[in-house]
Amino acid sequence: MPKLLLIIPAYNEQENIDRVVGNLSRNYPQFDYMVINDGSRDHTAEICRQHHYPMIDLPVNLGLAGAFQTGLKYAYRHGYDYVLQFDADGQHLPEYIQPMLDRICQGYDIVIASRFVETPKPLSMRMLGSNLIQAALKLTTGATIHDPTSGMRMFNRVMIREFAMGFNYGPEPDTLSYLIKNGAKVAEVPVCMEERLAGASYLTPINSAKYMLRMLISILLIQNFRSNKVLRQK
Amino acid sequence: MSLMLRICLIAASILTMVVMMRQIRRSKVQIEDAIYWVLFSLMLILFSVCPKIAYILSDLVGTEAPSNFIFLLVIFLLLLKVFSLSVRLSQLETRLRELAQKIAIDQFEAEEKDSVAEVTGEEDNRCDRTAAGKAGRN
Repeated sequence: MPKLLLIIPAYNEQENIDRVVGNLSRNYPQFDYMVINDGSRDHTAEICRQHHYPMIDLPVNLGLAGAFQTGLKYAYRHGYDYVLQFDADGQHLPEYIQPMLDRICQGYDIVIASRFVETPKPLSMRMLGSNLIQAALKLTTGATIHDPTSGMRMFNRVMIREFAMGFNYGPEPDTLSYLIKNGAKVAEVPVCMEERLAGASYLTPINSAKYMLRMLISILLIQNFRSNKVLRQK
Repeated sequence: MSLMLRICLIAASILTMVVMMRQIRRSKVQIEDAIYWVLFSLMLILFSVCPKIAYILSDLVGTEAPSNFIFLLVIFLLLLKVFSLSVRLSQLETRLRELAQKIAIDQFEAEEKDSVAEVTGEEDNRCDRTAAGKAGRN
């Protein structure tokens, strides 16, 4: 039985955290999980303590990349084989964890929960951004990733090490492009996702636009200049 | 805009790019920070390759010469960068202070708990909490 850790970064998720983590601990006791409280200013930490959810409580806000990396360092130290990035806002559904785990056990480095493997993308500004990133990935790596911005990703032991120890390893599509170029094997598993349960999303239109611009410049320009490393023997 | 200025602009922006990319290779700079300088040097290259844009914008703003407009723009962009850097520095110092204080307080509390546990361990194991309270008051 491979050891899997769900990493649940949470920033100001007091309305959602109990429903999301409670559901996991009641209905999916076979999976270990760890909440990373990213310096929330609301009651996220108190709620987790009250219910005795395992939680790493960051004293300052590090942002998603820093919070997720904290979880990866924990996973690396405790010898986990796989980790899954799992949102605390209720978007990600735990019934897809097992299919993703089955898939990654077939020898992949990264498995992405994809909303658009079979279903086409709806027409919206955000999906335009998603298409642009998909095209940039295709151009730089030759790989087709249908849902590059999906936040539900599973990583194997090699990737855990890379992300935990490396520099410039945000859990974002640009890192994905770098890893694929260095030989990482990526698969997608079709899933459905929910809308976030409650609270405001960080992704306002302006932030989304900034994010897309950053990703495109990073994938098309900057990632090409990073030094390469051999992730796996071919 | 003289040919010499254009050549200088192109050289400066290529130099910026090269320095930036080398820092990225050595894992010295975060990609978020590199993006500003990449855009900055791309802009300089754009102005030197098609000076027409500088002329149009210069007329629009009302500067005497397109080179003046470019200087003005560069100064403005650098000011913005300095300002955002000083905001980030303030935030960084605040976080550093919070972190140091938290570590120090946590460490003191952990040591205090240890020493209290040693003392009460011999006499009475049951009222750990009241002993800790007393030790805290003394």
